[in-house]
Amino acid sequence: LDAAALPRPLDGDVEPKSLAEMYPMNCDPRFLRLTTSGIPNSQSLASRWHLPIGAVVCPLAESPVGEEVPVVNFATTGIIRCRRCRTYVNPYVTFTDIGRKWRCNMCSLLNDVPGEYFAHVDASGRRSDLDQRPELTKGSVEFIAPAEYMVRPPMPPLYFFLIDVSISAVQSGMLEVMAQTIKSCLDTLPGSTRTQIGFITYDSTIHFYNMKSSLLQPQMMVVSDLDDIFIPLPDDLLVNLSESRSVVEAFLDSLPTMFQGNMNMESAFGPALRAAFMVMSQLGGKLLIFQNTLPSLGVGRLRLRGDDVRVYGTDKEHTLRVPEDPFYKQMAADFTKYQIAVNVYAFSDKYTDIASLGTLAKYTGGQVYYYPSFQSNIQKDKLRHELARDLTRETAWEAVMRIRCGKGVRFTSYHGNFMLRSTDLVALPAVDCDKAYAAQLSLEETLLTTQTVYFQVALLYTSSSGERRIRVHTAAAPVVADLGEMYRLADTGAIISLFSRLAIEKTLSSKLEDARNAVQLRIVKALREYRNLYAVQHRLSGRLIYPESLKFLPLYGLALCKSTALRGGYADALLDERCAAGYTMMALPVKSLLKLLYPNLVRVDDSLVKTDEFNIIGKRLPLTAESLDTRGLYIFDDGFRFVIWFGRSISPDIARNLLGEDFSADYSKVSLSQRDNEMSRKLMKILNTFRESDPSYFQLCHLVRQGEQPREGFFLLTNLVEDQTGGANG
Amino acid sequence: MAAPELAQIDPEGIEGVRMTWLNWPRSKVEASKCVIPIAASIQPIRPHVDLQILPYPPLRCKTCSSVLNPFCRVDFTALIWICPFCFQRNHFPQHYSSLSQTNMPAELYPNFPSIEYLIPNYQNPQNYNPAVAAPSPIFLFVLDTCMIEEELDFARSALKRAIGMLPENAMVGFISYGTQVQVHELGFSEMSKVYVFRGSKELSKDQVLEQLGLGVSGSRRTGPGIQKGGGGGPSPIAGAGPNSGINRFLLPASECEYTLDTLLDELATDQWPVAPGNRALRCTGVALSVAAGLLGASTAGTGARIVALVGGPCTEGPGAIVSKDLSDPVRSHKDLDKDAAPFFKKAVHFYDELGKQLVSQGHVLDVFASALDQVGIAEMKVAIEKTGGLVVLAESFGHSVFKDSFKRIFEGGEQSLGLSFNGTLEINCSKDIKIQGIIGPCTSLEKKGPAVANTVIGQGNTTAWKMCGLDKSTCLTVFFDVASSEKSDPAGTNPQLFIQFLTSYQSPDGQMRLRVTTVTRRWVDSTLGNEDLVQGFDQEVAAVVMARQASYKMEMEEGFDATRWIDRNLIRLCSKFGDYRKDDPASFTLNPCFSLFPQFMFNLRRSQFVQVFNNSPDETAYFRILLNRETISNAAVMIQPSLISYAFSSLPAPALLDVQSIAADRILLLDSYFSVVIFHGMTIAQWRNMGYQNQPEHQGFALLLQAPQDDAQLIIRDRFPVPRLVVCDQHGSQARFLLAKLNPSATYSNAHEMMNTGSDVIFTDDVSLQVFIDHLQRLAVQAS
Ligand SMILES: [Zn+2]
Ligand SMILES: [Zn+2]
Repeated sequence: LDAAALPRPLDGDVEPKSLAEMYPMNCDPRFLRLTTSGIPNSQSLASRWHLPIGAVVCPLAESPVGEEVPVVNFATTGIIRCRRCRTYVNPYVTFTDIGRKWRCNMCSLLNDVPGEYFAHVDASGRRSDLDQRPELTKGSVEFIAPAEYMVRPPMPPLYFFLIDVSISAVQSGMLEVMAQTIKSCLDTLPGSTRTQIGFITYDSTIHFYNMKSSLLQPQMMVVSDLDDIFIPLPDDLLVNLSESRSVVEAFLDSLPTMFQGNMNMESAFGPALRAAFMVMSQLGGKLLIFQNTLPSLGVGRLRLRGDDVRVYGTDKEHTLRVPEDPFYKQMAADFTKYQIAVNVYAFSDKYTDIASLGTLAKYTGGQVYYYPSFQSNIQKDKLRHELARDLTRETAWEAVMRIRCGKGVRFTSYHGNFMLRSTDLVALPAVDCDKAYAAQLSLEETLLTTQTVYFQVALLYTSSSGERRIRVHTAAAPVVADLGEMYRLADTGAIISLFSRLAIEKTLSSKLEDARNAVQLRIVKALREYRNLYAVQHRLSGRLIYPESLKFLPLYGLALCKSTALRGGYADALLDERCAAGYTMMALPVKSLLKLLYPNLVRVDDSLVKTDEFNIIGKRLPLTAESLDTRGLYIFDDGFRFVIWFGRSISPDIARNLLGEDFSADYSKVSLSQRDNEMSRKLMKILNTFRESDPSYFQLCHLVRQGEQPREGFFLLTNLVEDQTGGANG
Repeated sequence: MAAPELAQIDPEGIEGVRMTWLNWPRSKVEASKCVIPIAASIQPIRPHVDLQILPYPPLRCKTCSSVLNPFCRVDFTALIWICPFCFQRNHFPQHYSSLSQTNMPAELYPNFPSIEYLIPNYQNPQNYNPAVAAPSPIFLFVLDTCMIEEELDFARSALKRAIGMLPENAMVGFISYGTQVQVHELGFSEMSKVYVFRGSKELSKDQVLEQLGLGVSGSRRTGPGIQKGGGGGPSPIAGAGPNSGINRFLLPASECEYTLDTLLDELATDQWPVAPGNRALRCTGVALSVAAGLLGASTAGTGARIVALVGGPCTEGPGAIVSKDLSDPVRSHKDLDKDAAPFFKKAVHFYDELGKQLVSQGHVLDVFASALDQVGIAEMKVAIEKTGGLVVLAESFGHSVFKDSFKRIFEGGEQSLGLSFNGTLEINCSKDIKIQGIIGPCTSLEKKGPAVANTVIGQGNTTAWKMCGLDKSTCLTVFFDVASSEKSDPAGTNPQLFIQFLTSYQSPDGQMRLRVTTVTRRWVDSTLGNEDLVQGFDQEVAAVVMARQASYKMEMEEGFDATRWIDRNLIRLCSKFGDYRKDDPASFTLNPCFSLFPQFMFNLRRSQFVQVFNNSPDETAYFRILLNRETISNAAVMIQPSLISYAFSSLPAPALLDVQSIAADRILLLDSYFSVVIFHGMTIAQWRNMGYQNQPEHQGFALLLQAPQDDAQLIIRDRFPVPRLVVCDQHGSQARFLLAKLNPSATYSNAHEMMNTGSDVIFTDDVSLQVFIDHLQRLAVQAS
């Protein structure tokens, strides 16, 4: 495969439009994307497709202003649902019997229309109140759920912090940045006066904090009995933020200094985790873990498993990427059961077994944030931004999600960070706009006789304001009998998203190489099938041909195999980074994933020099070393980091303007900041524009000088996916 | 019967020693015929105006290490002294070379049988300079928080006042507990910080230290902590390195007073919910063992006391005395008798072990209990007594019995209790004298020697005892025996016997001292007649020794019948020492040296020490601890209260402890040690109610009213624990405090015979003293 010959996705993710044109009442593709909207009418057709059939769902994707999901309150009527299959009323149900009955679009059952919901229906089946019924016109609505959708009163938003305060946490500056960031977010945490908050810190012992509102200062309570951890106070370890605001602030102010002289190197992480569980289990909520040291004491202690080169390529290779101690999965299961979502922030400069720690996030609907060798002077902005985003983004609590679909098809597997509560119920203790989930469809034995297949995503959750709600996304897709139609309606983004999740899951039970081969094999098979179908027409034997909708698939597939999670072998990515990348990719929405796989590369030196204000950002360049001019200044942006590449022959003027006297220094020690000149301001503006385009993560700037090895190779060259160097054995 | 005699003037003297028998029978057989054991009551560090403090170390016998004393024979020319215990000839060292008959050091003066030496500080033994800064005493306060807010408030203010009164160099620590134990890290400056221990889990000392970051691997595992600068004098405290030492938890009083004040203000009652129908979960046992563990990290030899304020029964973890279920009552004497107290033995075992740990560390356990129900003093007794701790039982932390007693502990100057630490008592005695043991606040150090008797009473099997805590009034009862070898000494040898008590201790100001008391008594051959024995009988001591022994036997011997035991011994004693014609009760008389004894025994039989069923096991334990550690005169008052009568016509005078002493126009002042009762006769009460005392023409009445008040205050001021003061009127509800102590000479069964106006009738079936004496005389004269 000659990468250079392949079409390049230089415009990023392009959502397919054909389905929306066909079914305008469908939910927006930002909520639900199908790998192909052409649902095959038979298993044999499906098997010739070779690519996965399925959906990628982002139930809480952020909506642009003016396109917010409408909220519907049925109040006393109760929510209208199909008696048999429990489908929620949606634009595709039909009313008959002059409006007294409605037919379920999923299972065709004829349901009674409750008296209070009755409206006259005209000859064409249109209800007279249609313009007041968003649930009958919009693919996405949100129902206010009545009491029967609650097993307990809606929980308040709850943020609990489990903080490593051992020597490295203090010395790296993590503690200070974290404390400042939390403090700065206190006004913007969701939930206003209902929000609950609590803290535990730990090193070789567990420290609880009594935050009772009547106290002037928190009280620190140390529990050292690691084998038999217990809670030192029945209340006040978790407090109402607005009531205990001053105590919480006093705590956050003291946190960095009170551990200033701490020489403790140990980490009683497992016992601390149990302690947090005990405190939180009454209510549930979000547990944010800040972890700097390999857990060394008590239950869940981890050993330096080592990233042994000799293990690679053997059938033991995958064990490095799965937790060794069942404690972590068990804890994750307990957390999910009690509506606790775990986010892991890891900072260590040494091996810290992200494979094990990440399990906590994986099964609780959480997220892994990894800041290897965190030093606050370099990484503080990234931590600050991402933590603030985590704390302040709109969050849905104690949620469950189910995807229903019409007869003849069925979702058989789910992929992402969550735990399955039953065969098709996804448990999500917390969920937000940055989380996407994928599922694979399979066809029942029989031929599909219907023209259309319906999908309905229902997310039952508690809003931060304390309402129980159900967000419902409904979409219709045509059933097709022709492979060509499937190609025409294919969605590369959704396919890659599903592919990447499958591949990462495969790395947990197989060698990296096998996982990559599986991806490549399916792509090759799919393209071969396409060629078999169309070679006759096109008479272009020998050349790679692909349907228009899948033209970027080969390159994205290649990029996937070169991604941090999958690339090469032992030497190509540190084990912890590889595992962290895997956990991250399992949760990413399509757009962010595609950008991570095929990052933006733009040349900016011209824009800095030119005075043209309107078009300061140049066009995206292919990810190959050939794109780099030695006189140029380039920004590489994968959504997680910027690499700013200074060509060897760059104008000294630019370098000096941007870096001042640092321009000749070791770039690993230089951080980019705004200087008092037009060029610097312009560059910062460009970077900000990039950052604002997707605020889910913060791109940290890495400066790279052409030829400066190994920095250049590590940061940029390996990531030029089109080049041979990009990910060695790719 | 004779009226109670006026208190002798200083019967202990400079020796601080009183014995049941001044003259000792020569053989074991004769000794046993004396009925009352040969016992000495000693106050090891009793202050005395004539006591000399010698700023140099004592001279010791090179064989038996007795200390040079007035009873040594001294050869002034050869500069040799002969040890009276082992007859070893010892040379005086060089610096005694100027010694002569007219130039004797104080320790040889016959009028200084007790003398005290300043001992060089153990921290620098080679540099003998008593002025070197002494180790600071440690006060580790342990506060129960399972109480109502009001009680906690009382306890809080008592603690605050106490801390304010501590000497600046005293080290202070603080532990609070309820369902769990909280060890406060006073040295942590950022915020209030506690180490929390589960209340239900028994912990070893090592586990406690490990969890506090004071363990062997402490330096590796310590949490954050700001070490206070060690300026000013050597620290008494061990610590491996910065942040790791015990001085995170113990701070000089001057440094942590503010911190503790704030902490106490913020301290809440125990937050754990109590289920309806349940007792609060209170883990006194774990709290005390954590406290002991924490003190275990202090430097060996540092004086330290755990001062525990306990507000209820332990229901959680080791040391629990009752279940959580309120419908299970706390054990009574009846339960203990019937072996129906399922928690008792386990709890006693726990406190026994705790006591051993504290003794090995040299630390004291003081318990201040305040509750309407029992808190478990009966179980804790062993640890309190073995460590020489103080105990006060009160109804409320707001009551003066607690408040004023607690204050007393921390008072300096005249009022000071003279709380001392790390005492060791050693006894040397002449050949043929054996030591059975000691009843009192101490622990046997199991130091064997020829003077150890075969039979053991109390802390025995030793010639040395540990007294972790002792004070001016601490009193021990040593039980002696005479070697069984009859006539081992041919006639003509030394008729004197010698006993030397050596008490080393750390005084309140931190100095190490050695008190040496050498006493001599006479051997008598009682086969030749009783005269010497009779003349040497100290009936007050004998009564107290009987009370102590009876209490001890009641605790130790299952099914022991104290009343019968007392009766039998009294009859035997009267048979042996009374003058009578056989089988003629009317002929019976007792020598004045014995004449008070039967009444003592009569009152002992009726006392709280024998009639335990009227009290809770906690009260009994409390009474016994004090009986065992108080001076003879105080203990005698516990057995037989004193009664003083105030009337217009006469000076205040001792009155018979009899219901007949009650009169309408009298005021009585009863001192029964634990309470002091001022009892106004009916008429007096009426006049008082009418306010005569405020009228100038009735100044005499005002003075009469005031006199017993002043005398009561005198008693209260000197006593620890502070007694309860009851002021009551004849026929008032509080009058029972007096009536319970009076001889029921007029009971309802003979009331018609005794229509003595103004007197009272006591509703009781107890025999009266007269009936008792009649019986005694009848039985004593019977041929045995
Ligand atoms: Zn249906
Ligand atoms: Zn000798």
